[in-house]
Amino acid sequence: MVESVALRDDELQRIVERLGREPSVVELHAFDAQWSEHCSYKSTRHHLKRLPVSGAGVVLGPGEDAGALHLGTHAGQAYAVVVAHESHNHPSQIVPFEGAATGVGGIVRDVLCMGAEVIAVADPLRLGRVERAGAHARHVAQGVVDGIAAYANAIGVPNLAGDAYFEEGFDENCLVNVVALGLVKENELIHSYAPKGAEDWAIVLVGKATDPSGFGGASFSSLALDATAAQASKGAVQVPDPFLKSVLMRASYRVFALLRERKVSAAFKDLGAGGIMGCSAEITAHGGYGAQIDLDRVNVAVERMAPEVIAVGETQERLLWVLPPEIAGEVVRIYNEEFTLPEVAYNARATIVGRVTAEPRYVMRYRGKTVMDVESEFLAGSIRDELPYTEVIRHTTAVEELPAIDVETLLPRVLAHRDVASREPLYRRYDAVVRGATVLPRGAADAGVLAPIPGSRLGVALAVAGNPRYGRIDPGYAAEHAVVEAMRRVVAIGARPIGLTNCLNFGNPRKPEQYGAFVAAVDGLARAATELDLPFVSGNVSLYNESVAGAAIPASAIVACIGALDDVAQCVTPGLKQAGSALLWIGSRELAAGGSVLAELLGSDGNLPAISYGGERAAVGIVHDSIVRGVLRSCRAVSDGGMLTALARLAFDAMLRGRSVGAEIDFGNPLCETGGFICEVSDESEIDLTGALQIGRTIAGTELIVNGARFEIARLHEIWSRPLAGIYP
Amino acid sequence: MRRAVSITLGIPDNEAYTALVALRRLGVEVGRVERSDVYLFEDRGDAEALERRIVGDETIFNPNKHRLTLLEAPAPRAGEVWIESSSSRSARDDAGRIATAWRLFDERGEPVSRGVIEAASERLLCNPAIDRAVIGGSDADRDIPSGAE
Amino acid sequence: MSGRIAVPVFPGTNSEDETVRLLRDCGGDAELVHWSAPERLAEYDAYVLSGGFAYEDRIRAGAIAAHDRIMDFVIEAAAAGKLVFGICNGAQILLEAGLVPGTGPIRRPTAAFATNLPEAHFVCRHVYLKLAVEPARCAMTAALPPNALVPAWAAHAEGRLAATPAHLDEIAAGRHVAFVYAHANGRVDDDAVPNGSALRCAGLVNRAGNVLAVMPHPERDGWNFNHLERCVGDDVLAPSGGATLFRSFVQAVAQS
Repeated sequence: MVESVALRDDELQRIVERLGREPSVVELHAFDAQWSEHCSYKSTRHHLKRLPVSGAGVVLGPGEDAGALHLGTHAGQAYAVVVAHESHNHPSQIVPFEGAATGVGGIVRDVLCMGAEVIAVADPLRLGRVERAGAHARHVAQGVVDGIAAYANAIGVPNLAGDAYFEEGFDENCLVNVVALGLVKENELIHSYAPKGAEDWAIVLVGKATDPSGFGGASFSSLALDATAAQASKGAVQVPDPFLKSVLMRASYRVFALLRERKVSAAFKDLGAGGIMGCSAEITAHGGYGAQIDLDRVNVAVERMAPEVIAVGETQERLLWVLPPEIAGEVVRIYNEEFTLPEVAYNARATIVGRVTAEPRYVMRYRGKTVMDVESEFLAGSIRDELPYTEVIRHTTAVEELPAIDVETLLPRVLAHRDVASREPLYRRYDAVVRGATVLPRGAADAGVLAPIPGSRLGVALAVAGNPRYGRIDPGYAAEHAVVEAMRRVVAIGARPIGLTNCLNFGNPRKPEQYGAFVAAVDGLARAATELDLPFVSGNVSLYNESVAGAAIPASAIVACIGALDDVAQCVTPGLKQAGSALLWIGSRELAAGGSVLAELLGSDGNLPAISYGGERAAVGIVHDSIVRGVLRSCRAVSDGGMLTALARLAFDAMLRGRSVGAEIDFGNPLCETGGFICEVSDESEIDLTGALQIGRTIAGTELIVNGARFEIARLHEIWSRPLAGIYP
Repeated sequence: MRRAVSITLGIPDNEAYTALVALRRLGVEVGRVERSDVYLFEDRGDAEALERRIVGDETIFNPNKHRLTLLEAPAPRAGEVWIESSSSRSARDDAGRIATAWRLFDERGEPVSRGVIEAASERLLCNPAIDRAVIGGSDADRDIPSGAE
Repeated sequence: MSGRIAVPVFPGTNSEDETVRLLRDCGGDAELVHWSAPERLAEYDAYVLSGGFAYEDRIRAGAIAAHDRIMDFVIEAAAAGKLVFGICNGAQILLEAGLVPGTGPIRRPTAAFATNLPEAHFVCRHVYLKLAVEPARCAMTAALPPNALVPAWAAHAEGRLAATPAHLDEIAAGRHVAFVYAHANGRVDDDAVPNGSALRCAGLVNRAGNVLAVMPHPERDGWNFNHLERCVGDDVLAPSGGATLFRSFVQAVAQS
């Protein structure tokens, strides 16, 4: 047998039985890729069915390369935001720059192939301990950020949101999640499957010349990281080419316009795991067709590549069209001549490589021989692995009464904590404003905001969340918190949350306790999304995230929330506005410190804060109401570092804009991270105070006064700004 | 002693390909272009120890994507130009990087002539306002780079 | 008849759409001209080279694009006195093409937009451009008030003006520094400079005043919604802020 194949014996047995013969080498590699966890979601799909995926605002739910949500109507035309969310964890651990860059490249293609213009990316990162110079985790942390910057900046897509946590649990297995947003007119969405009447349509491969890089990628990402895998994966280093991507994107926009002019339908899909085979098999099989692919027609980068490498290799920067034959030639001309692909990268081009067949068989030919001939549905249909798991018992230690805290010493320590300190040294490497549509750039507020449609006031907001300190304590509850926190962030800038995406980053599904954490997280996501009436429109699962010794990473359900604004003028702008405002804490204020930065600094344990969904819904209502009434001057969601950190950041933003506004507050433990919103309102009598607590007022001057302790805002800002500058100089 | 080390991408180098296309468009006859970063280290006479040190410190070298060559002399080889920038100052420069080396080969895979290298430097590879081009191939023109601004 | 403005697109250009949009919102008659049809460029009266990563800034930012056929037309147009305005990558291309500061031969740069310092990487930061010459020194700034402040975003890795001391003297003496970096209140100091640029230079103009190259992007702070806190008037979609420089450019095209 071929040694690089990860198929299990029982899976091989199934193949032999179904084919009635031994599979060919190409077939073996095809099933290996297609039935890998990465492509098939075989051990997760049946759990993911529990997530809510429908609702009035859902234009397209999960199942294709990206989902879509209704954003609004402008000039009689309905627009959708296309959303995709993926991980590129394992490649980034081995070649951080290339791994993270190709992660961006892949997610951008997922959005592009829905017929959308790519308008934003976001990058939730989970990195290891970076304090020690020379540590591998530090190189990973630096390389990943540089890779994301190099790719997204070059293709001209603004970075709108993201976060970064630095935890020991990610030392040997970082998480690089990427989110991309696109904009499409709802009636112009292109699907990832061949439409009705597509028999004999052309299959057109577009992009980089296929090379041996990335061969074995699908099964590689489905294996835990160890030294051998890292060694074996050298062939799997995927090389990013944002220059080619930039041209491919613009050429594809031109093709979208052509399809509109000619009023023809088509299918378009990103080549990911499983390469040409995986993509062409799925795009045809999901429409009920078969395909005939001629591997000799594939544009290759090197001579004498084995057919299985051409078929399943994961060379970056490639996409696949299914097009009516009468238009295929014109599309090929747009890519090759108008957009000169062959001059942009070696032997890059668009090529007709095969056709759609009515008979649902997937056939590949190479040098006059049939090297693959299988039932399409058997190859590309869903398979299922029911793995045993240990049910996660909800963490219930007795509530630990926190000692009265010394704010004077603790606030500076909280602000300097690696999970609280300013991320600006990191994100200022990202272009946040290309495309000229940015309303709130990355880092300016809890969520980033764009006005993506020229001439329209419609806005789209994006935020991410997923706290690994919570994940370590309780995977399921952490997942619920991720949904709630992502939603709060979008609400805090004045947007209406419209939908969610997730990326579930977990350990080895063949270890029942690690698989149990995954199952608990799915339940947590489902519960929170159902309670808040927010659909998941796309998602991704990344398993086998564990250390060399086999320890799972902290449970990491990472969530992105998309928000809509009917008028971007209603955006809540950063920073305290003026002295004399009331400061209200709206929403959850339970005094539980479990999983907080404060608890870590004090070395104390404890429960995660409880979530009251009724309270969350009410808080969202109050914040929204106060924006509509025009009484909300500034607002931040309470998260890492607690209420006082949120208030300090409102004060920092005021200072940076030249406004001399501080605050004076009084509250028992202002460093608890129990959630809710801290709001500056012009007149507290204007809003319904049920569920809100006035904690103080804004004052003129440069001080923050907390329970009598006085802090110079400028000094706190310096403490908060410095820590990450050493890692991202 | 000071030892020059060249670090080259072991994965396809898009930048070198673009340089090749651009040079050909300018009428410079080149068949292949190779790009490397050149570093200068103190090696105390033990080349193997130096190599281990570089490979062990990931600042400039990742074994999954780079190839490392210990150069015989701290000077460009035949068919090679070192572009020493008086201006760049990145973490890599602080790690001892002194130049970007461009190695040009003709259609038969042989190092190109000095004239071709000169044309390539003057027309594209070097901005004389900030860069210095040190061309290899003839002893008389060798120039020991100082590595300082 | 106001002049027609071409916004050429190189492979890797990425700011062409918002540049055209703001030019149009400021009354300009602007359109894109694609790299596969550069001969169309001869038909236009003025040129705006927009931002991005032409040829992905390989070798040096602007180095390869400066030799593109697009630049044959732009160089000819500049010599004929037509207006040429480069932003960010467009500015880098104009410099590599020798059009700014314009103190040497064509395609033999006498200065560089070198790697930023002290942060030797891409930096995205809001800045202010301050007009550092009398407005009429450059046709495209003629409609701005003296010492005008133009908000913009610096978003580049290679934007630091660098040259030999002799060339820098020539640049200063020839009043080629059209814009310097400043704070919101107009103060000019090193803290306002995002990239360590010599002479605190944010923009260069050629001797004749018909070629202007600015590193930061005014078009990314060009509408009220880009800066809600500095909204001018009550229309969130109206051009403002960075649009002042675009208006001045469009006015110069109309008068040329």
